[in-house]
Amino acid sequence: MSQVKVLGELAVLDDVGPPRRGRAYPAAGATSALLLPAVLLLGALVLWPVLRTLHASVTTDGRWVGAEHFRAALAAPGTGAVVGRTVLWAVLVPAVVTALGYLFAVASRRSEEGGLVRLILLVPVALPLVVTGVTFRLMYDPDPTRGLATLLATRLTGRSADDAPQLLGPGLVTVALMSAFVWAWVGLAVLVFRAALDRLPPSLADAVRAYGGGRRHVLWDAQWRPLLLRTVAVVFALVALGTSRTFDLILVMTPGSVRDDAAVLALRVWQTSGGTTTGQGAALGVVWLVAVVAGMLVAAFFVRQAWPPPRVEATPGPAPTTPPRRLFRLLAAGGAVVWLIPLVVLVATSAHGQVDAAARGWWSAPPGTGSYAALLGGDELWRALGFTLLLATVVTATVLVVALLAAYPLAWLTGPAAQATGLLLMAATVVPVQVIAGPVNEVLGVVLSSGTSRGLALVHVALGVPFAVLVLRNAFADLPAEQVRGARLGGRRWWGTLHRLARHNLPAVIAVSVLEFVQVWNDLAVGLVFSGPEATPIGPFLAAEGRGFVSNSGVLAASSVLASVLPVLLMVLARRQLVAGLVSGGVR
Amino acid sequence: MTPAGRVTRRTLLRAAAAGATATAAGCAGGGRSVQVAVVWSGSELDRFREVVATYPDPVRVVSAGNDIDAFLRARHLAGTSPDVAILSRPGLVTEYAARGWLRPVRPSTEYAVPIGLSDLLLTGGQRYGVWVKAAHKSLVWHLPSMLPEQPTSWDELVSLTRRLGALARRGDGPAPLAIGAADGWVLTDWFENVLADLAPSAYDALAGPDADWQGRPVRDTLDRLAELWSVDGAFPGGGRRALLTQYEESVIQVVRSRRAVMVFEADFTAEVVGRFRSGPEEPVTFRFPSAGTGAGALIVGGDVAVVFADARGGVELVEWLTRADSFRPWLRAGGYLSPNTTIALTDYADPVRRQLAREMRGPDTLHFDLSDQLPGAFTGSDGVGIWRIMQDFFSDVTDGVSAGAAVRRATGQLAAAARDAGGGR
Repeated sequence: MSQVKVLGELAVLDDVGPPRRGRAYPAAGATSALLLPAVLLLGALVLWPVLRTLHASVTTDGRWVGAEHFRAALAAPGTGAVVGRTVLWAVLVPAVVTALGYLFAVASRRSEEGGLVRLILLVPVALPLVVTGVTFRLMYDPDPTRGLATLLATRLTGRSADDAPQLLGPGLVTVALMSAFVWAWVGLAVLVFRAALDRLPPSLADAVRAYGGGRRHVLWDAQWRPLLLRTVAVVFALVALGTSRTFDLILVMTPGSVRDDAAVLALRVWQTSGGTTTGQGAALGVVWLVAVVAGMLVAAFFVRQAWPPPRVEATPGPAPTTPPRRLFRLLAAGGAVVWLIPLVVLVATSAHGQVDAAARGWWSAPPGTGSYAALLGGDELWRALGFTLLLATVVTATVLVVALLAAYPLAWLTGPAAQATGLLLMAATVVPVQVIAGPVNEVLGVVLSSGTSRGLALVHVALGVPFAVLVLRNAFADLPAEQVRGARLGGRRWWGTLHRLARHNLPAVIAVSVLEFVQVWNDLAVGLVFSGPEATPIGPFLAAEGRGFVSNSGVLAASSVLASVLPVLLMVLARRQLVAGLVSGGVR
Repeated sequence: MTPAGRVTRRTLLRAAAAGATATAAGCAGGGRSVQVAVVWSGSELDRFREVVATYPDPVRVVSAGNDIDAFLRARHLAGTSPDVAILSRPGLVTEYAARGWLRPVRPSTEYAVPIGLSDLLLTGGQRYGVWVKAAHKSLVWHLPSMLPEQPTSWDELVSLTRRLGALARRGDGPAPLAIGAADGWVLTDWFENVLADLAPSAYDALAGPDADWQGRPVRDTLDRLAELWSVDGAFPGGGRRALLTQYEESVIQVVRSRRAVMVFEADFTAEVVGRFRSGPEEPVTFRFPSAGTGAGALIVGGDVAVVFADARGGVELVEWLTRADSFRPWLRAGGYLSPNTTIALTDYADPVRRQLAREMRGPDTLHFDLSDQLPGAFTGSDGVGIWRIMQDFFSDVTDGVSAGAAVRRATGQLAAAARDAGGGR
């Protein structure tokens, strides 16, 4: 494909681009029909629940009470700490992820081992956060005969097991959780930075050097200002939004007694709401919602302003950039080794029977297949895996159809209408499901029945559509006009055009499909709130297995490994399309 | 939207759904099965399926797990409640009954439960649930070789803990007690056993609307717990470590790694023991020691079957579940303790359960698990309600806070939580 792509940002955060010129329009009557499924889904399962939550936060049994619920919720003991912790997550973790991501991206460029390093860093991105939680809880087990990190801490500090720093204790639990989150997200930052660095025109650096600039000037004028500032903003914002989903980690990693010491708004809302949306729970939810949407807006505007108009030159081929220095490459290799350790711990623990894994560390007992045998012999895991596969496939297919239909007419929108639609879609993308759980259940109760697999699938579809529409719309809108004309001429009808456009935008379609599939597969929160008893998806299944953590760690590790195979495989195989699909579009 | 309008529409939808189901069933040519939502999972679920397999009509069992309350609420909103549900909290039974979700049930003539259990399921003179499974929650487990002589009173337990704790501190032996304090319910079970022994009459009042959580009985109970829990060296790794130890790990510390001598918990501990025991030695149990002479209090947990208001066929199934031989498959398989006193003791396959069933029929006043009767969020969950408060208290007393200060803080929290949940004074 020859269309112009300037990389360095994810399309999702860059939807407020300048007006697009009209190119070809779908039949006017068709437009509303095409948008209808997406509008219905988002209206019923996102917009209405949000309004309903807003309403519940200022009323008691339908009676207006003003800010009373907000005052009560914020004055409740512990709320201040919870809000503070949420902010800490949203500031500190993205900073660390961004810095590490940039370092690894630079260090792993254009060297032979760089590809391997990036591959290792990518694996945690694809893991369900529940599995990440299981892995790090295994590492941080307070017993040095089982927890690798505790063993090292006792050896290094020379203290006894009782005095050793305990990462899962009330003092350090947030640090432990953050380390797991950073581990899981750095790979994504590396991918984005790598794409940005690769698209930097090398001629720019040459020009700076020609004018007598040193290394610092090259970094500043040829890297930072034209492209990296924006990329940093995108990565930071993306991770900051991601930290609102720390829910999974906290549920899996924290023992009951320290849950309050680790709680963030996501967890508090879930704990206080009890599946319905009333009063204080709704008020906390609104606070959270406002924070997330405000973060999204700031990110969007910041990204826009930081963006100088792209100077699109010839497609930068394999540029003769020198590989990074040795020190950097060693750093990359060291990072990869560190990133491998948790994976080794998970797999090694899974290779022990239930009793061995509970009683001693994986390094002190010979491996066996006991846990896998116990798992594969029963049918519970199979049922969960099978159901999740079916669910993820159906949801992905539905999301794709709905989003393709909606993206087509939206791609011709221009001006303020396009910007408003983009912002609305982005807002719908970041709405946390815990906040709107109660009203969504009510809607499901009216249209289907809540607590059923169909209801669960419907919620997943509604939550997946806005992101898919954003990406596909941007991809469509960025096609060169002649290609669209070609599609119009060849297709004659709008669905023919749509078909051709989809084919020309294959990376975007693949990216959306893989991400949606992996998201549904890896989900915990939606499954926890909306799944019925007749079938449990793999995320809630693992979380439930983790209730008796130590006694079950062998089997839990084995089921975690089995649950991770498919998403890891998909992400690794589709990684090129993911980057291409996500960053194409939305620049001009 | 008016409430009436909502009801009408829901009724319509429900009628449509029922019509569709009936058509589907008609096409399939079979009768409609009774749907039962249960709290059990894993092997308990399998056993229960074996039980209902002998019911004359088809029964469909679905596991809603610990979150059965949220599940049933959602199903009620949607108008698709199951016919029968098995709940682990009698508090939910009275709550649902008061909202009109349930229909009264009648047990069979072969059904009798110990005094104190039956009343919990009555609302407005009507019976809305029957007990189908019990848990004996007043047991201390140990290996005979690790503890030759069992303490027979609370004071003996304390002095034994002090003695063994001193040895453990010097590194000369295992800690006296294992405790899974990461699970709040373990601590509430401790609290309930001591409270029922100290002040049996106050115990039942605490579940009611006039509960006094700052009164003398609660303070004395906490004092007594502080006396034991604050013993230096009482727990393997100390109090901080105990707060990160889950219940099952605490059992492993006794029966496998032998880092502790005793562990207190219910009869379902036998299942964990069975999985992790090493060597041929069987652990034995003794009753939670009383401060006075004689056997201590007996705390019982249990599961209740209820029938939803628009159920079809649920009442007959529940009646059948209360017959003496309905649970025979589970009795034979072991791991089941029946609340039904008309079941012959000889029906129990395992001697431990037979002994526990005998104890439950004894003259003791029996008390139902208090935290399971508390209203709303006060009932406890991870990081919430009485679970969290007991963990704070445990953390205080094992961390050197004086008993007086710790008790004041805990009773204050308990009273506040009771007020928030709409009970207590």
